[in-house]
Amino acid sequence: MSIEVLLVEDSPGDVRLTREAFREANRAIRLHVATDGMEAMAFLTRQGAHADAARPDFILLDLNLPKMDGREVLAAIKSDENLRTIPTIILTTSDAEADILRSYQLQANCYLTKPVHLEEFEAVVKSINDFWLTRVSLPRRR
Amino acid sequence: MPSRARAVAQPAGLRSDGNLAEPKLAEVATPEQLLQQQQRWRVLDMMLSSFADFAYAFDRDGRFLYANRPLLELWGLTLEEALGKNFFDLKYPDEIAARLQRQIQEVFATGERIADETAYTSPCGVAGYYEYIFSGVIGIGGTVELVAGATRDVTTRRAEREHLVQLEARYRGLLEAAPDAMVVVDTDGEIVLLNVQAENQFGYSRDELIGQPVKGIIPEGFAERLIADGTRTAAEALAQQIGTGIELIGRRRDQSEFPIEIMLSPLESAEGILVTAAIRDITVRKDAERHLAQMEGRYRGLLEAAPDGMVVVNGRGEIVLLNARAEKQFRYWRDELIGQKVKRIIPNGFAERLIADGTRTAAEALAQQIGTGIELTGKRKDGSEFPIEIMLSPLQSDEGVLVTAAIRDITARKEAENRLGQVEGRYRGLLEAAPDGMVVVNQAGEIFLLNAQAEKQFGYRRDELVGQKVTNIIPEGFAERLIADGTRTAAEALAQQIGMGIELNGLRRNGSTFPIEIMLSPLESAGETLVTAAIRDITVRKEAEANLVVKIEELNRSNEELEQFAYVASHDLQEPLRIMASYTQLLSKRYKGKLDSDADEFIAFAVDGVNRMQRLIQDLLTYSRVGKTGLELLGVPSDRALQQALLSLSGAVEESGALVTHGPLPEVVADEVQLVQLFQNLVGNAIKYQGAGVPHVHISAAKNGAPKWMFSVQDSGLGIESQYFERIFGMFQRLHKRDEYDGTGMGLAICKKIVERHGGTISVESEPGHGSTFHFDLAASEPRS
Repeated sequence: MSIEVLLVEDSPGDVRLTREAFREANRAIRLHVATDGMEAMAFLTRQGAHADAARPDFILLDLNLPKMDGREVLAAIKSDENLRTIPTIILTTSDAEADILRSYQLQANCYLTKPVHLEEFEAVVKSINDFWLTRVSLPRRR
Repeated sequence: MPSRARAVAQPAGLRSDGNLAEPKLAEVATPEQLLQQQQRWRVLDMMLSSFADFAYAFDRDGRFLYANRPLLELWGLTLEEALGKNFFDLKYPDEIAARLQRQIQEVFATGERIADETAYTSPCGVAGYYEYIFSGVIGIGGTVELVAGATRDVTTRRAEREHLVQLEARYRGLLEAAPDAMVVVDTDGEIVLLNVQAENQFGYSRDELIGQPVKGIIPEGFAERLIADGTRTAAEALAQQIGTGIELIGRRRDQSEFPIEIMLSPLESAEGILVTAAIRDITVRKDAERHLAQMEGRYRGLLEAAPDGMVVVNGRGEIVLLNARAEKQFRYWRDELIGQKVKRIIPNGFAERLIADGTRTAAEALAQQIGTGIELTGKRKDGSEFPIEIMLSPLQSDEGVLVTAAIRDITARKEAENRLGQVEGRYRGLLEAAPDGMVVVNQAGEIFLLNAQAEKQFGYRRDELVGQKVTNIIPEGFAERLIADGTRTAAEALAQQIGMGIELNGLRRNGSTFPIEIMLSPLESAGETLVTAAIRDITVRKEAEANLVVKIEELNRSNEELEQFAYVASHDLQEPLRIMASYTQLLSKRYKGKLDSDADEFIAFAVDGVNRMQRLIQDLLTYSRVGKTGLELLGVPSDRALQQALLSLSGAVEESGALVTHGPLPEVVADEVQLVQLFQNLVGNAIKYQGAGVPHVHISAAKNGAPKWMFSVQDSGLGIESQYFERIFGMFQRLHKRDEYDGTGMGLAICKKIVERHGGTISVESEPGHGSTFHFDLAASEPRS
């Protein structure tokens, strides 16, 4: 069974990197990408073009997004009764204390800073996979 | 005076039957009989002549049959010469002789006695007045045979009476003319005489009073004095009264009473000693006296009660009255001064004003002085002098215009004036010398004094400001502080201001304003609280302040901008850098060995460059973060921070085998995160710049003059040349080539920023080849109790 992951990330470079890293970690992962907050919400709420979108098993969310930024998306997800059960992992470049605090206040499931080095990045992705997809129990997809 | 004929009692005759024995001339007498008759005649004659009075007899024709010796002596005749002559013959004045003759005839005719009086001048020239009685002597035939006469010399009595009458007339005249009521009282206390004034005074007519007891008009006091008791005569009783005015009460006809003063004097009269009483109605005087007494009483009361010494002086410059205060002032007893010249106590200046010179009256001289206080010198009994101020006012009295002088001892006032003058002088000196403008303001907010500085500051001349409201030069803020509102006194309002510099605005003469700082302090002066304001023109200061503020703002802004820039730059640079780094690494990883060796090398350089860039950016970010975030200053155990730092450096520590030791480390006031960073950088450096050998790092702390701790991070590394001591703390400063030692050159800059943000300083001690010690200080934390 495939695992649906929604990656909300505006940098194509980062998208590709993430994709590569996940492919190495777990080939069963199907990575969906939304490049901005609006698209992310449309996907999650199955609006318009995303009417048949799969429901993700978890969401990887960058904070610094154009238009609707990551914090807003997070807030929107966690205030939606239907969507809030999807684990939302913040994956962002910022290691600022304020961002970390805010994210947890908005009920992010966890916060990860994108490491600078490739190796480290690959390790982080791997640990996401290990933890969230192997250890953690996720609610059944509905 | 008309002669009056009066019937009188028959005089006693020589014979018991009342008849005169007459010698019988017709019968011839014997010689013995003749001798007897002669003897009898002689005895008769002697007897008749022994009387002082004249005795004589007439016949029908008025011829003398007999005249006694006194009469003969009066005539200057002998009996023989007189016998047979009548009055005409005796050269009596015709009228008198005729009258006498007539009267003799009348007696012969009627047998009735006739008494009369007449004046007569004897041939010798003796003038006199005589009373005579002619009485008929009845003979045997039952008819008057001869007229006997007796004459008494009443010259003196008559003169007396005339005199008395004259006196009486004169007296009566005086009496009537007298201004006072005059009442003459006899020894029985009855009024014998009174004048018209008395009538008016008592409301009676004369006849209603004459013969009445004087008690009727003077109920008490008069009669008593008159009536001789058994031990004194009226004369003696009277003698006591002569000359003294006695105050009694008079009673009018209508029974109303009024006060009188009587003056008694004796009056000799035919009726005995009479008392003349001059009676003066003293109602007015009594009223005046009473009034005066009241006034005197009141005046005396006022006089005594007056706070000032009061001295009353008469026109001759003599003291007539003074009060107790004056006694004290001059240290005299009252009686020592009354009657003395006022010069005694006020040697100069007083008397001169009083004594009228030929061209002015005392009143005029006085008029000039009324109301003005004159400063003179008073002289005490012991000769010591003291300054006085006198105020004169006139006082009308029976004795003329008196001068009342209110005398005030102004010794204290003079001293105070002197002292004030001195203080003023001294103060004025200080005032003028003061570098600041000084303005003294009274409670009404008016400028009392100012100095030259203030003149310059405000562009006024002194006289333009003195007396003016201080609001003219300090429009707002000054007066408000002075003027007492209903709930505070000026003193209280002032008390708040003392010592504080207040910034206000000054207004120059030309209308321009300038900022001033004033410092207020109170000044007691002659019972008034004044406010001294030291005024400083702070234009320059204000400008400097403003400039400073502007500069600081600019600086802050630029700092902020800089920091913002640094933050944003490094934050936003992270992103592309990461991509670059990741892909070059990906490239390196995936295609290493799959491309040619050149490609490998190129990729390696790229990767390296990116890595460096990343580190640089990271450090920049850290640097900028040090300033950007707010410090959370708490009491931090510095050893805990060190441990944290070592944890982060564990890799480097392990790799180098470094030996990190530390002494007891205190609790300091710091932001923990930054303190960790600080230690991390310093210890990291110490390990990195070791050179050969194993790094030895020792961290210690010592008290650097409370309440700061001086930390030392000592290493056994390369050391630093002194010329670089400053530089190494700058941004991007590196002392080594890239292939020697890696680093961004930001580490120490970050340390410096952290330490400075904590209010401390960082420095280095070092010698090349002998390691370095970095020092920094932080505030000590208060020990937790």
